[in-house]
Amino acid sequence: MNVQTRLSIEGVTHRFGRVTALDSVSLAIEEGELVTLLGPSGCGKTTLLRIIAGFINPSEGRVVVEGRDVTGVPPHKRPVNMVFQRAALFPHLDVRANVAFGLQVAGIRGEEADGRIAEALRLVRLEGYEQRRAHELSGGQMQRVALARALVNRPRVLLLDEPLSALDLKIRLEMEVELRRVHRETGATFVYVTHDQREALALSDRIVVFDNGHIEQVGSPDEIYHAPASPFAARFVGDANVIAVDVVSAQGDRAVVAVGGIHLDVASRVEVGAGPAWLVLRPEVVRLSSAHNGGLRGLVLDSAFRGTGFSYRVQIDGLAEPMKAEIAAEHGAPFSVGDDVSVMWESSSCRLMPHTATNVDYHQSDNESAD
Amino acid sequence: MSVTQRSPVTFVVTILALVFLYVPLAVVVLFSFHATGALSFPFTGFSFRWYEETLSSPEFRAALWNSTVVALSVSFFTLILGTMAAYGLMRCRPRLRAPLAALFFLPITLPGLFVGISLLVYFARLGVQLSFATVAIAHFVFVFPYFFLIATAALDRLDPALEEAASDLGASPGTVFRKVTLPQVWPILAAATALSFALSFDEFIITFFVIGPDSTLPMFIFSKLRRTVDPSINVVSTLLMAITLALWAVAFIFVLRAARGRARRADALLLGGAS
Repeated sequence: MNVQTRLSIEGVTHRFGRVTALDSVSLAIEEGELVTLLGPSGCGKTTLLRIIAGFINPSEGRVVVEGRDVTGVPPHKRPVNMVFQRAALFPHLDVRANVAFGLQVAGIRGEEADGRIAEALRLVRLEGYEQRRAHELSGGQMQRVALARALVNRPRVLLLDEPLSALDLKIRLEMEVELRRVHRETGATFVYVTHDQREALALSDRIVVFDNGHIEQVGSPDEIYHAPASPFAARFVGDANVIAVDVVSAQGDRAVVAVGGIHLDVASRVEVGAGPAWLVLRPEVVRLSSAHNGGLRGLVLDSAFRGTGFSYRVQIDGLAEPMKAEIAAEHGAPFSVGDDVSVMWESSSCRLMPHTATNVDYHQSDNESAD
Repeated sequence: MSVTQRSPVTFVVTILALVFLYVPLAVVVLFSFHATGALSFPFTGFSFRWYEETLSSPEFRAALWNSTVVALSVSFFTLILGTMAAYGLMRCRPRLRAPLAALFFLPITLPGLFVGISLLVYFARLGVQLSFATVAIAHFVFVFPYFFLIATAALDRLDPALEEAASDLGASPGTVFRKVTLPQVWPILAAATALSFALSFDEFIITFFVIGPDSTLPMFIFSKLRRTVDPSINVVSTLLMAITLALWAVAFIFVLRAARGRARRADALLLGGAS
């Protein structure tokens, strides 16, 4: 085993009754990494986090922290700490006593405890808040206290369970900056659960994309975004259009596909044979122009201003779902709902994915509810 | 402002109902201060005579002492066992939770007469001498469901993430209970204990069946009613009522205290989400 592996998940399977929440998941997390477990609700990411914390014992598999098998070890004897979704600060204790809790039960007192508590509060920039109670703090401050309360114990792995999901956007963005800074300053190993792909892209060294209890893809934010391994990953991260197409002919990294009744020349990037496949197209590479301009014909269903541009949903003849398009504001006058448009993209800016056993019955609507 | 139609009929009926409820109580209290031995109007003078007489009576003192000892032991055991039962129920398998809760709670539906007779038969079968111990056991059977119901409700409202957080921070299950669970539910448990005391203190029907030669306060009143009728009965009743009311007031204060804490935390959550 690699000496630098801080945490390894080895073939973890978990079943709740007849439902398989995790299906033989394996993952190695290196020292000092910030790894995000990303996926829609019910994908198993929180179950895995709770298995690492020790709140759930997996049906099969092992959890190993720095070479020590901790499977079956109760949560209070594990060298990991958790930041909960809703902070879970002890309401009967003030900020200092909350942060001191772990040290106190570990029997660490006196100067060392004082020093570590002050250090943790400085780290989350809450010096001077020692005497406050939880109900006197804002949501963002509560999560900072929760972070300090966990980090003061110097956990081998810090677990974060959607810690920002209860905050509103402005505080969330500030807290992301804070989390990155705290991670840099402490060099601690973070395992971060979120369903927010934007948050995952902004924070992570590596992202683990979960779907239906298994890992879809592991990679850097850049890899996940630009080289999604599956239609699910493409759609969940970056909200790509995933279109069912028929490959008419393929040669090297070029292919001709039939989509919406016309033939298009596309970059395939991977080996595909003739037959059904998925075409993955990021909304920001889609271009719209006035009708009768070649390309696919479509009807603008919806238009929303996004500050830097507009996002459109365009119904294309012969396609099951509307195509999403992000158009920067300087690219000509925006279109209106009901306009006829032609839809185009650079043939090199899309990806073709062959059907596989796991993605052939993939339905876009499966993750409609997740964002 | 709400606009309510006030009907004079409703008003009169309400007043009559309140009079019907409270006048007898007021009369009992009033005549406990009567200067003569008469228990009916006219009220001829005010005195503490019957209080002095009652409080110095050895029988009354014995009954008061007995009731207090029984109620104290009942509320103590109810506090310990009821809390354990409610806490255990929270963490047992979800499928077992509802049936177990129902079993613990069910005795509340049984008529006192039934509980009294069945316990009497039970004690007789076992050859147990009737004493304060049998009274305390019988009261425990009667009081436990009330305590259990309140304790379960209080523990149910706790955020399970708090106990998880404590355990995640290294606290053993015992420490979690002492440092996190108890500090949040103790006002409710204290209130429920005060209620247990009050329920036991003035229990009559079940006591009637399982008590031996001694007397509790309600039994004392009952036996006195059968012998002489004078204002000392009013005195004992008034004292019993005062003690019970005081305990309910104590319970109420604890509940208010717990509710205030909860409201503050709810505010904190709302503010936390909005700021």
